Amino acid sequence: MEGSVLVIGGGIAGIQASLDLADRGVRVFLVEKNPSIGGRMAQLAKTFPTNDCSI
Amino acid sequence: MREDWEPDIIVFACNWCSYAGADSAGVSRLQYPPSVRLIRTMCSGRVSASLIFEAFRQGADGVLVTGCHIGDCHYVDGNERCQEMMEMTIRLARTAGIDERRLGLEWISAAEAGRFAAVMAEFVERIRDLGPMSREDRSVSSRTPGGVEEAGGARR
Amino acid sequence: MGPGSLRSAAEAGADQLRIGVFVCHCGTNIAGFLDVDAVAREAGASPGVVYSVTTMYACSESGLKEISESIRKHNLNRVVIAACSPRTHEPLFREVCGEAGLNPYLVEMANIRNQCSWVHMDDKERATKKAAALVRMAVAKAARLGPREPIEVDVDRRAVVIGGGIAGMNAALDLGDAGFDTVLIEREPDLGGRLRGLYRLYPSGREAREVLEEFIPRVIEHRHIEVLTATELTGVRGFIGNYVLTVRTGGDERELEAGVIVVASGADVLEPHGLFGYDGERVITQLELARRMSQGSVEAGTIVMIQCVGARLPEREYCSRVCCANAIKNASMLVEEDSGRSVYVLYRDIQGYGTEFEDWFARAREAGVVFARYDPERPPLVDSRGVRIYDLLLGEEVLLPADLIVLSTPMVARPDARSLGQMLRVPVDKDGFFLEAHVKLRPVDFATEGMFLCGAARWPCRISEACAQASAAASRALVPLVNGKVVVEPVVVDIDEAICRGCGLCRDLCRYAAIEMVENERGLAVARVNQVLCKGCGVCAARCPSGAMTLFHFTDEQIRAMLRAARPALLAGARHGDEGGSAGGVR
Repeated sequence: MEGSVLVIGGGIAGIQASLDLADRGVRVFLVEKNPSIGGRMAQLAKTFPTNDCSI
Repeated sequence: MREDWEPDIIVFACNWCSYAGADSAGVSRLQYPPSVRLIRTMCSGRVSASLIFEAFRQGADGVLVTGCHIGDCHYVDGNERCQEMMEMTIRLARTAGIDERRLGLEWISAAEAGRFAAVMAEFVERIRDLGPMSREDRSVSSRTPGGVEEAGGARR
Repeated sequence: MGPGSLRSAAEAGADQLRIGVFVCHCGTNIAGFLDVDAVAREAGASPGVVYSVTTMYACSESGLKEISESIRKHNLNRVVIAACSPRTHEPLFREVCGEAGLNPYLVEMANIRNQCSWVHMDDKERATKKAAALVRMAVAKAARLGPREPIEVDVDRRAVVIGGGIAGMNAALDLGDAGFDTVLIEREPDLGGRLRGLYRLYPSGREAREVLEEFIPRVIEHRHIEVLTATELTGVRGFIGNYVLTVRTGGDERELEAGVIVVASGADVLEPHGLFGYDGERVITQLELARRMSQGSVEAGTIVMIQCVGARLPEREYCSRVCCANAIKNASMLVEEDSGRSVYVLYRDIQGYGTEFEDWFARAREAGVVFARYDPERPPLVDSRGVRIYDLLLGEEVLLPADLIVLSTPMVARPDARSLGQMLRVPVDKDGFFLEAHVKLRPVDFATEGMFLCGAARWPCRISEACAQASAAASRALVPLVNGKVVVEPVVVDIDEAICRGCGLCRDLCRYAAIEMVENERGLAVARVNQVLCKGCGVCAARCPSGAMTLFHFTDEQIRAMLRAARPALLAGARHGDEGGSAGGVR
């Protein structure tokens, strides 16, 4: 597939959007201003409602 | 029976319903006795009489097969095949002198976390009441058709 | 028979096995409730295991890196990961091991979190013992795993959407706009679903009729969408990429082929028979109120709304979420229409979310809507004069003389959702709503590949949420459609034709017509399996009287080995007693 997509923000929403696009064969640029992706979710030990480990 | 006796229980769980139910029980932190060892199969219809008798031979005091509710099987009706197999296995167990209460078949859906934990607790309690399986019973179990098939082991 | 005679070729060649075991802490999820070091130590002593360690989060970037580096460094040829559920994490670990050069089917998981640390939280000793057993069993299976390549299947690049409400229409539009032919099935004679009975919508205040007038023609006129109304689904067969749906329109039956299916079958609204004097005249539901408002026929000076009618009870525990905003919107509009009206909202709790909610709440209060909280232990009483409520703030009973009483009832699963679920082979939850593959990781996927869900079929939701989910479901469904191919697990049956006696039992048992009887070169009848059609249930393997059928990844040999490993006494017996090595490190 031609074309590429810029995803701004590497939190859980940006990561999932990037994965779904990439799975379709689209080239994705995921841009995150912090040194690592993961966003808020990466700061959580356990997430509701399953209380399992986070990202 | 010793107070501290722990039964050894094998639970076969199908991937789509009962194993998922076990996962949900974990997610919901529902507590049940730790005497059960789960073995995942894709479908309850995969479990054979010979595997059940093998479990007894290898030291299980009880064997529980779990699958999707009738009508919900991921593979159309593999659970109905499982039910037929269990009926046959129970007859064989009776012939072999194994207390048929040591065998169980339960349908547990992916959503039934509470039911999974309750079924585990009930089955463990049932086997606890029956006590350890005797050596004699185990040796009888190796004369069941499952054992014969194993001995015949054309594959090996 | 002594257990020694059961040694398989793989076991006999245990020297060549180089199994690595990774025991995950999962933060404190596992390590907080059992002794992961002890589990790793015991695993390290198992036959064939050359490397056994604990890891903080096996699925984290660093955890995965550690696994792939260990595979290379220690030349591992099997990997066991003792962590969470293979239902969620096996694909990830397989992928990482695959990238490290290990065939993905040489990986096995032991679920010591969901099956152990989370369910035996008060008994660390026994939880540890059980975890060790689960790992032994996984190691025993791993020792007998074989490599295989995944099977690639062509995808029929068409979609079917079940349900022509706002979610289904939106999903069909997204799929159609992407250029894929989509059939939209609706049981009713018209598209529109729940919106058809509504008046002005929350939060925009737009009329539902207007929204439908905008949507429906776009769907009907779309060149990639075919709409089948007054059409019932009667059967589904097949699998991802190759579904066949049978539908009936009037007396006509038709088959639809599709690579993916989106379920948007919606929900009902509870009819509160027997509750609060519901009679459809003076005591009505919010749906009936919406109908009257749209006709301008609300003739009432004092209106009392009662929230949570038939909801948040032992038999229906969930909160329907949409009713608070709906009542607040309707109450505001009723007072704004006629300032002489008195409107009361009797509530248990107010469920407010989204950026617009507080504005609407403030607007209702400014308009003069009165909110009063009731105690579910002392619910409001409806009699001929009005509604009696024990007001929790005043601490006394108050009579509200009401001309019209409006009950806010929850959205409930459709009574036939369960039978639709059985047809599609997908589960419903305890309330009868469809159950997604994972509440956070896969919220619009079913566990069954190639099936997706959106809208109120999953859970009561607002229109904006239904539309967002519909777009998400369509987006997920587009992955196989765009690729035109999908990789499916090679968990299929192999037949040893040399052993097969040609009885044909397997062919009769197979629900996928994957087995046919053929004549072999010696002129004997034998079963042959079409591995693309085989779905890997293993029923034939369980039943074959000759033992000629082997289900890959769930072989008799593997399961028997797990059964042997389930008990420590037998493992530590004569066979393996001397094979134990140093724990927690490389041998």
